[in-house]
Amino acid sequence: MKLNETQIQHLYTFTKNHFVEHYDLQTELVDHLANDIEAMWQEQPQLSFEEAKTKAFKKFGIFGFMEPIEQKQKAMSKRYRRYLLVELKKWFAVPQIVITLALFLFFYYTFSTVYVEYLSVIFYIIIAIWCGYKSWQLNRIFKRRKEKSNKKWMLEDMIFKQAGGITGLFLSQLFNVISISDTSLNNKYAILAFALLFTFLVLINYISLELLPNKAEKLINETYPEFSL
Amino acid sequence: MSNSKLYKGSLTTIILKLLNESDKMYGYEITQKVKELTKGELKITEGALYPALHKLEAEGLLDVEVKKVDNRLRKYYKITESGTKETSNKLNELANYIATMQALVNPKFNLE
Repeated sequence: MKLNETQIQHLYTFTKNHFVEHYDLQTELVDHLANDIEAMWQEQPQLSFEEAKTKAFKKFGIFGFMEPIEQKQKAMSKRYRRYLLVELKKWFAVPQIVITLALFLFFYYTFSTVYVEYLSVIFYIIIAIWCGYKSWQLNRIFKRRKEKSNKKWMLEDMIFKQAGGITGLFLSQLFNVISISDTSLNNKYAILAFALLFTFLVLINYISLELLPNKAEKLINETYPEFSL
Repeated sequence: MSNSKLYKGSLTTIILKLLNESDKMYGYEITQKVKELTKGELKITEGALYPALHKLEAEGLLDVEVKKVDNRLRKYYKITESGTKETSNKLNELANYIATMQALVNPKFNLE
């Protein structure tokens, strides 16, 4: 006996109710449960769908789908970081390296002036505001995408929602650095390090909050060619 | 999985070896194949299988493909080129491990 369409949809809802948010992982787990239920029916045809489903789910152990979710998230973060790195590398190759260098020199010379204290805070605020705005905007786009389709992809979630989280954390750390180094920026190496940090910050934020979201469709298709969106 | 502690470290080797021998397999198929080959002695648990598969996929040792089967989508795993290399490394490691354990547990079989 095979599972019908309604039962398959029921399994999708079941995985969703057990904290599997993303369609990619849901699909795999639904197929697994379905196979197991069908195998059980071969031996015990009298078993109801609900009973068989409960039995199949129990085999995942007391933590249910937690372990697969966690591992999948780790695997997907790795992929996300790889995409980020690919983009970052481009900024150290011709022609983008010109912009990177210009950015670095700009920060280096402005931080070498006596106004360093004010300028670093002003730059910091500008970057923070831009990041906040972009995160808000991406969240809105993500919500709209969800309204269109019910499916949520793990990579999509990372591109649109977690990018802001990473930069937020990074920015809060940088703020500590700024407060500490307010007085010690007369040192040439400190200025150099500071300029490098700011350049890096601008690049990472620009890539994660602007470039990757713009390429989202392409990246999602590349990650899930099998689902042919 | 029976004797889970002893088998646990070999899970990825088992998965790689199976995929190395077949064109492609899906998760449930792997659990069934292992059960069949070991006559039920070794049962890979669902909670261990999928994390292992996703980890191998992230490491680039496995590739995936999804096909519509019956009225649902099925995710297949295939071994990549680097996965094939890793399989032989893992199998060598396992063979060494078995030989070492053999020497410890059953010294009379040691010819030296």
